[in-house]
Amino acid sequence: MVDFSLSPEAESLRDLARKFARTEMAPHAAECDRTPRFPEEIYRKAHALGLMNLNVPSEYGGSGLGLFDQCLIVEELAYACAGMTTSIIANCLALEPILLGGTPEQRSRFLSPFCASYQLASFCLTEPSGGSDAGALRTRARRDGDAYVLDGEKCFITNAPHAGLYTVFATVDPTLRHRGVTAFVVPRSAEGITPGKDEEKMGHRASSTSTVRFDKVRVPVSDRLLADGEGFGLAMRTLDQTRTPIGALATGIGQAALDHAARYALKRETFGKPIAEHQAIQIKLANMTQAVRAARLLTWQAAWTIDRGEKGTLESSVAKCFASDAALLVADEAIQTFGGYGYMKEYPVEKLLRDAKLTQIYEGANEIQRTVIARELLRGYA
Amino acid sequence: MEIVVCVKPVPEAESRLRANASGTAPDTDGVKFVLAGYDESAVEQALLLRQAVPGSKVHAVSLGPPSRTDEVLRAALALGSDSATAAESDAPPMADPIATARGLATAIAARGPCDLLLFGKQAGDDEEGLVGGATAEALGLPFVGFVVDLRFDAAASRLRFRRSVERGEESWESPLPLAVGLQQAWNDPRTATLPAILRSRKAPLARHAAGPGAAVAAASVAERFALPPPRQGAKMIAYRDPQQAASQLVRLLREEAKVFP
Repeated sequence: MVDFSLSPEAESLRDLARKFARTEMAPHAAECDRTPRFPEEIYRKAHALGLMNLNVPSEYGGSGLGLFDQCLIVEELAYACAGMTTSIIANCLALEPILLGGTPEQRSRFLSPFCASYQLASFCLTEPSGGSDAGALRTRARRDGDAYVLDGEKCFITNAPHAGLYTVFATVDPTLRHRGVTAFVVPRSAEGITPGKDEEKMGHRASSTSTVRFDKVRVPVSDRLLADGEGFGLAMRTLDQTRTPIGALATGIGQAALDHAARYALKRETFGKPIAEHQAIQIKLANMTQAVRAARLLTWQAAWTIDRGEKGTLESSVAKCFASDAALLVADEAIQTFGGYGYMKEYPVEKLLRDAKLTQIYEGANEIQRTVIARELLRGYA
Repeated sequence: MEIVVCVKPVPEAESRLRANASGTAPDTDGVKFVLAGYDESAVEQALLLRQAVPGSKVHAVSLGPPSRTDEVLRAALALGSDSATAAESDAPPMADPIATARGLATAIAARGPCDLLLFGKQAGDDEEGLVGGATAEALGLPFVGFVVDLRFDAAASRLRFRRSVERGEESWESPLPLAVGLQQAWNDPRTATLPAILRSRKAPLARHAAGPGAAVAAASVAERFALPPPRQGAKMIAYRDPQQAASQLVRLLREEAKVFP
């Protein structure tokens, strides 16, 4: 039978994340957004409490959580600040290819240092000439003896200027398209790596995003994940794992927007009564509530499916796509509930709209999610 | 040093309490019970002392039904306690403090040696501050309340600490064993880490039946439990000219609030 209640263990993990989000993250969210500032001291604290590297098994010193518990934590963090959350969970994305494709020796060599002390990693897939069309990437990996030489440029890379390690997808032969894509683990110390300057972003401004250039970067064969040409599948399997927490992140934004709107509606008076007593506002709040709750349940279902050992491609795409669309809608309605004040940076809701927008774009644009959903759906009818 | 910390499950600060059907106690249906801030300070003090005095152990003890005690004991384990003992009792929350003290004393005596017994200065819910002293009395230990900065002088084999009093602060020293009620948050209690929380879920809880029976027979019974009446709305005085506003304020203070004759 299905059970929607949380176990005491799950509740205690959520409570830890909630406490951290509200006491350590929330007080700095507006300032880090406005400046913008990359609050490394907060990320260090998150690491010390075990709120980073959530997907790394405990044998390497990580938290070793299933996807469901990860989602509970991510929603709580995003409730306080989506941008900080993106930077906190970027390690999960960057380390997942090592978890999925690394040999035991590679896993122990690369993962353990991340859990032992604070360090950031970046997932380098997207390129200036293409994000969604990952099979068309141009970064080259040329074999040279017992090493590869990487040349090319990646863009929109989370945490790149601060990262100590990059998981890089490059092609050994562009004419092979996705069958040429190969994955490498590259330390920041390797010669020829140049992260670009921080991008000025619309939202998620507490996170850091930049290009990374690879100029004749030598990577030993021992730092290649899987075999030549197996990188595309590895990237897709990685995103299958990390897509669902983006649904949770979007749910956190939506819940924050709803809470702000409901509290404001009870306080703000027009025509002699609180606007919460006007039906026009009640309808907004009711619609927002439905959207947030549906987003959470779809996210939980996707996480539950994957934790059971199923692939959950359809479920995770539905969760990510629906929750991110819901976050944008709910943030928009929260601004409308606040009226003119909602449009002012002095109030917290306009940030939520800017933050929500990215969740429709990153970790697989919603257009790609819909393509995946339709493909999975139609497979059942063919 | 064997340090025992008593921790009380109290309703989460954001809980919306109501009276139960008979109007004698809060309705705990759906209420989450957590480790109170005062008791967090006591656990933190125990952990600091354990760090300072090699070979020390910290034991958490909590009284009540498992539905209330277990989460609080696991929280104490996640913070770093070496063991946790549930003194099982079906007493309602905010029950008679003397009965609670007797139940705790039985469980503490049965658990093993105790050189130092720590409490938060008072409970986070009913704020009575009686159980610490009463438990010490039941165990035949001296008790000092409102303590901060407890240290162990190993050479002299004595505890040294300070105590907040109305016009300042006292400095104390005492031999062991001793029972102490600690001021809240002077020591900035740590937050349990995620791996420690996961470990605490798997740790065993010792159970000791603290009731029913003569040991926990209530010395007092709550007759009525009610929430404070809702606060009346403030009255705003429309402000045009200050003299007029002041005379209106004085009139309201005299005629409505009746603070002047």
